[in-house]
Amino acid sequence: MNKLADQDARTQGPAADQDGAVRFNAVTKRFGETTALDGVSMSIRQGEFMTLLGPSGCGKTTLLNLAAGFLSPDGGEILIGGERMNDVPTYKREIGMMFQNYALFPHMNVAGNVAYGLKVRGVAKQERDRRVEAVLGLVRLAGFEDRTPRQLSGGQQQRVALARALVINPTVLLLDEPFSALDKNLRASMQVELREIQRKLNVTTIFVTHDQSEALSLSDRLAVMSEGRIRQLGTPQQIYRQPCDRFVASFIGDANVLRGRLEGVEGASAIIAIGPVRVKVPCGPLADVARSAAVDLFVRPEHLALSEATEACATHGTIVAHVYQGGYVDTYIECGEASRDRLLVRSGGHEAMTRWPTGARVGISVTSGEAVAFV
Amino acid sequence: MRTFAAPALLCAFGLVAALAAVLQFSLRAYVPGSLDPGGFTLANFTDLLKPLYARVFIDTVWICFLTAVSTLIVGYPLAYALVRSQNAILKSTLLVIVVTPLFLGEVVRTYSWIIVLGNNGFINSILLHLGIVRQPVQFMFTTFGVVVALVHVTMPVMVIMLAAALSHIDRDYQRAAESLGAGPVRVFLTVTLPLSMPGVVAGVTTAFAWTFSAFATPQLIGGGRVNMISNLVYQLGFASFNFPFAASLCVTGLALTIVVLSMLRLASRRLETIEPH
Repeated sequence: MNKLADQDARTQGPAADQDGAVRFNAVTKRFGETTALDGVSMSIRQGEFMTLLGPSGCGKTTLLNLAAGFLSPDGGEILIGGERMNDVPTYKREIGMMFQNYALFPHMNVAGNVAYGLKVRGVAKQERDRRVEAVLGLVRLAGFEDRTPRQLSGGQQQRVALARALVINPTVLLLDEPFSALDKNLRASMQVELREIQRKLNVTTIFVTHDQSEALSLSDRLAVMSEGRIRQLGTPQQIYRQPCDRFVASFIGDANVLRGRLEGVEGASAIIAIGPVRVKVPCGPLADVARSAAVDLFVRPEHLALSEATEACATHGTIVAHVYQGGYVDTYIECGEASRDRLLVRSGGHEAMTRWPTGARVGISVTSGEAVAFV
Repeated sequence: MRTFAAPALLCAFGLVAALAAVLQFSLRAYVPGSLDPGGFTLANFTDLLKPLYARVFIDTVWICFLTAVSTLIVGYPLAYALVRSQNAILKSTLLVIVVTPLFLGEVVRTYSWIIVLGNNGFINSILLHLGIVRQPVQFMFTTFGVVVALVHVTMPVMVIMLAAALSHIDRDYQRAAESLGAGPVRVFLTVTLPLSMPGVVAGVTTAFAWTFSAFATPQLIGGGRVNMISNLVYQLGFASFNFPFAASLCVTGLALTIVVLSMLRLASRRLETIEPH
């Protein structure tokens, strides 16, 4: 890969390691009356794949545009490679960006598109051709130099967009929902490929998406955002297993909400009573809650299990439907006592389907200590 | 489809008949002292080659060219601001300024320019008052004056066509170029301008064709010293009553317009081909 860059030299730069390759310090952005970003701070490490995840309007795209320089912040500062970027125009930021619709220049062919950033930098023709060839090889599009964007499939266009962004050895790669236009199968393979290339080049990446499964599968770390703030920042595992609040717990993955009662605190754990059952949860979010207060227990579908209705379980319910998913079965259960919504139980194999037909009454138990509770 | 066939045919028939009449006239001999033409002849067309008349053709093409290019240069920034400005007041002000010429009568508009460009006009008064010039600058009866007034005429259509083309350019193209390190000038020259070429070609072509048939503006501001084809047609047809020769001018003018426009179209096709890297 030495063809592509002196990437390694930059990786080991001491400044980048200490300060984070990209930093947002209390960044605020307003559009008229609405506050799009409200004092967002975040530090992204060199080579890290950071995902900004949240529903539309949460500020994730605004944050990306601020990093790119398409917008300027109303407060706080943005640092890339340790340098303050607030007043640096986009074209001096050394960023690579991939757009949702790829934005390939329609009046240039593939080679022209990829070479654009090199031409701007005054790279000599020979060197330019060599680097274009190398990067097109990297995205597996060698031989497509003379095609026009219109002659390419969606996936190929995306690879060209990626090649165009990477060929200039950007300090940071910015990705604005790049997979949203692809069909499901292509999306999965492109995700794997993108991640592989990103790791290989060790390029710091900020990735914006509203697709939580994409965020979980790709990121080193991810920031869950809503209403202009970061709700939680952590590794995919941390976010999935220890969501810090209701919003994160319900936005990431599927979650069942069970009504319970705080019974007591034992060291770092809180004990939640649901029916006759006691469940241990981290006591962090419940620190200030009075004993026997009503709390909601968030449990992942794979952490619930079905049992005979006669057994003592967290709650009971009636099976509404089984949804066969191949590797697992999703069972929806109506359960008036402990939950307002239908419960979703995910079980491996299809045993559940054969054992309890639709309409059967079943018991539901919490099988893992990974539940969390919020007031 | 059928409902529209009859009126369409009627219109087409009217147009073709009128053109045929002009063509027919252009091939007839001029009988001095008579409004009726003589026998068939090609003399009208060979007379066009005389320097006196050939000159008018060359001048006309030159004025059209100057007007189209000047309108493009002035109109492009206006169209760009119209499309990209975030300021609603600026946008509507621009639109009003740009579109007004469409609603002014040709004579009113031209007369206004006489007031502005005349020796005692607005511009000269200011120049003299500020002491920038001692003698009034001659704008009236010059090609410059005619082109200025013609630019005003063609501005609305140019701006509208450019604005239409510019509004179809996705902002992300410009952002992509910026992210790749291109400064504003470079983004404009390598992305915005090439992508707006369809609008540029349409605007220039229309401005050219429109100016080619200009009459009142060169008549009043050129004052006989700047003559375009229409003015010559007028003089020959209505001062000398030489209808056959006037008709041959019309036919040649029409042919020339078609030739120039197809050349522009050809040029635009070449422009739209893919730029090598």
